[in-house]
Amino acid sequence: MMLNTSEKAYCLALLALKRKDYRSAVEQFDKAAPYFKDDKEFNLYRESTRLLLAVKLEVEHIEDEDRLEIEETFQNG
Amino acid sequence: MSQVQVLKSLEGVLESFLEKVVILKEERLQVLEGINRLDDIARSSEDGFDVTDKVGDWFADHNQWINEQILRKGDVNRINGILNEIKNQINKTPDASPASRKISSEISRWSDSDMIKQSPERAKTSKQKIVLKRGSEDISVLNEPTLIDFSKTLMHCDMMLKRFSYKKLHILSVLDETLDKAKLQKDKQALILSAFIIYYLKQNAYKVEPYVKRLKEAERLFKEVK
Repeated sequence: MMLNTSEKAYCLALLALKRKDYRSAVEQFDKAAPYFKDDKEFNLYRESTRLLLAVKLEVEHIEDEDRLEIEETFQNG
Repeated sequence: MSQVQVLKSLEGVLESFLEKVVILKEERLQVLEGINRLDDIARSSEDGFDVTDKVGDWFADHNQWINEQILRKGDVNRINGILNEIKNQINKTPDASPASRKISSEISRWSDSDMIKQSPERAKTSKQKIVLKRGSEDISVLNEPTLIDFSKTLMHCDMMLKRFSYKKLHILSVLDETLDKAKLQKDKQALILSAFIIYYLKQNAYKVEPYVKRLKEAERLFKEVK
């Protein structure tokens, strides 16, 4: 009657969402996926979190690029 | 709207949605966190660790569940199952300490509790909704175009025409380029210049339908971005 790996992972994913630790949440959702793949609610939370993480990484990437360009401009006068 | 602005707007919507999910599930999260913690304790117990204190702490933190009726039937069964695993591990030890025996009897008390036994199946489908609201859209104040603006636009169109007509023999080649720029880059000046050229060609009896079609498509895309 103990929690199986997927149940535990789903629980940890939701707790990670509460902490706004989206990277951990995605990792835990992935671990939970085999058991919950047909659960619509699970899939909604998982995909939303994955998309949010992807968006955050893309924004970081674009902002880093801008920063690099500015630094380069300063270096080269 | 720039790419970063679009992404940040999407980021805000998603973050807001997930925050609301967490708020909506706050009570369930507390239950899940408690069950998960108990599950961790049971695993430690299986590995041979003394979990007496941890179980004691767990009871201290979650005893109120007996009275508050926040558990679903499935939760109760799950907790009872895990507690029984722990109890079995404690009972396996022949020389169990008084503290361990106390925990064992506490587990029995929990499992036999009338409140736990009668825990109602909580309505899983309580029709709660997550409603995402967004603020009113920013309506940018429409600046009425002045003569100076129009003059500047003409000047920019003239510069663009000079740039695009470099080494080109026919105005249709220029139109082709301005339409591409208007469509691909959603460029307002290119859109205006294209319209200008098309009207000029029409006045000079050119067949302009295919270009008008492309202009409308470019205009539609421009409006979408705007």
